[in-house]
Amino acid sequence: MKNNKNQSAVSNNGSRSRLAAKIYKYRGFYLMFLPVFIFAVIFFYLPMLGIRFAFTDYNGIKEATFVGLKHFQKMFSMPNFWSAFTNTLVISVVKLFLTTAAAVVVSIFLNEIINIHFKKVVQTIIYLPHFMSWVVTASVFSLIMAPTAQGLVNTFLVNTGVLTSDSMIYFLGDSKWWRFTYYLINIWKETGWQTVIFMATLAGINTELYEAAAIDGAGRWGKMRYITFPALQNTILTVIILNLAKVMNLFESAFVLQNDAVLDVSNVLETYIYYQTFNSGAIPNYGYTTAVGLFKSLVGCVLVLICNNLSKKIREGRGIV
Amino acid sequence: MKKKKIEIFPIVNGLIFIIVSLIIIVPMWKVIVDSFDLKSAYGMKLWPEQIGLAGYTSVFRNPTLYHPLIISFVTTIAGTFLALTLSTFGAYVLIQWEMPGRNFFANMLLFTMIFQGGMIPTYLVLKSLHLTNTIWVVILFPALNVYNLVLMRNFFEGIPVSLFESATLDGCSPMQTFIRIVLPMSKAALASIGLMFAVTYWNDYTHYKLYITDSNLYNFQMKLRSIIMGSDLPQANNGATENTVKNAAIIVVIIPFMIAYPFLQKYFVKGVNIGAVKE
Repeated sequence: MKNNKNQSAVSNNGSRSRLAAKIYKYRGFYLMFLPVFIFAVIFFYLPMLGIRFAFTDYNGIKEATFVGLKHFQKMFSMPNFWSAFTNTLVISVVKLFLTTAAAVVVSIFLNEIINIHFKKVVQTIIYLPHFMSWVVTASVFSLIMAPTAQGLVNTFLVNTGVLTSDSMIYFLGDSKWWRFTYYLINIWKETGWQTVIFMATLAGINTELYEAAAIDGAGRWGKMRYITFPALQNTILTVIILNLAKVMNLFESAFVLQNDAVLDVSNVLETYIYYQTFNSGAIPNYGYTTAVGLFKSLVGCVLVLICNNLSKKIREGRGIV
Repeated sequence: MKKKKIEIFPIVNGLIFIIVSLIIIVPMWKVIVDSFDLKSAYGMKLWPEQIGLAGYTSVFRNPTLYHPLIISFVTTIAGTFLALTLSTFGAYVLIQWEMPGRNFFANMLLFTMIFQGGMIPTYLVLKSLHLTNTIWVVILFPALNVYNLVLMRNFFEGIPVSLFESATLDGCSPMQTFIRIVLPMSKAALASIGLMFAVTYWNDYTHYKLYITDSNLYNFQMKLRSIIMGSDLPQANNGATENTVKNAAIIVVIIPFMIAYPFLQKYFVKGVNIGAVKE
């Protein structure tokens, strides 16, 4: 009955009823998507509405009052904000390039191991730190890098004569050393796991290429340089682009490794927002920290879009989102 | 001359990787050694000078330890189950190319990868929903992971369409098709992505730090952090020193994973390759 009625109406209504029939046909799928939809709304879309607080004074108790761009003016005049901004970019980017470079070198040499059992053992070992939490990693390194006779690294440096026992280095508590130590820990933790993707690419190289190169007189180095490394180039770019899109999100690793003494070189935007909100000692002004967060999200958004375009260019149309 | 070089290379390469492996192992080994060492001067020793379990007994005698351990287990199990449910449901819907609104749903999820509300608005929303300081927030929040959902979708795309069609012809509802066809054919993806979620939940620190202030709801990572920072150090007894106790606490957190890891490693690698195969 209902269908007949619709068909007699204008053609526009006809296509609408076909749509309705299609929606009805897929009703089970809509039901299955519902939980995902609810989660996306609660955890991603409702917070987006909260961005309005960036233009207000809000402390969670009193009603928010509109203040326009006040927080942005304050933010751009704060040296702490700018240092957090540059720290975020420098730390993330340097970390990304160091771990990627290390992973590429390790992968190329790992690929040369002939004994398959030895290779498996090495892979199992170097993947392991990736699965340790940052809390555990920070705990381990704060103990072995401690500037005391109990710290492994400092004792080693004293025993080998590099340092004297009264010039021990406080690696994680000295602004001069913090970033170096942070990069080192990241290389230790993530290099191995990053080789997974490179090894997958290398496994796909046609072995005939190596044979042909051998006939042409290429030695081991020649093959590594002219076959193995070029094969990795696209994957390297992909890895860098995928990770560049995420550089603004740096939080946990910096947070658990930093302390008050090294904030000048280690405070990133997310940790800055955290301290300003939860650790400032005063009643928090959510408005200000939301504004900083909004700035962070916008820069992150631009980075993602740039990386997406780059990705489409070099990966035959495949974007990252 | 040239021939000799070729014979030497594998040995040098092998040695390099023995050294690389040692660099990875030594920090962890050092923690294990120190957790058993009752002499306080550890320094460079890579074998305990005076072996004893006092570090561990101090950790386990501490009555406030079991609660975080239970929280860690409960959130990991419940969270992984929920996260897999959401990922598979979402991924299954996203491969229904003909479904009206399919693109809207896909874009809705993908947009969250481009732009986020940020730390503070998220905190305020969760607070206004009375989710902060409940166990729910640390189970629910990490459960929707768009990246993993897309990985799952990539995997589902490999299932032959004819299987879906014949199931529909046999009168299977979407849910029945999902349970009878999709899940049994996706065991590898379920294992890898499920393990990734389990590790995320087990290692979670940020969500606790941001949304939970009630120490009764701390997981083991939070507990370990406060032990290491010295604010919640268990009393050292039977000759254990402060450092022995700290090292023992680290080992207690990572031991469940360390035992399972060699058996699970291949699934983790597979998980990365689900994404990489599509390169």
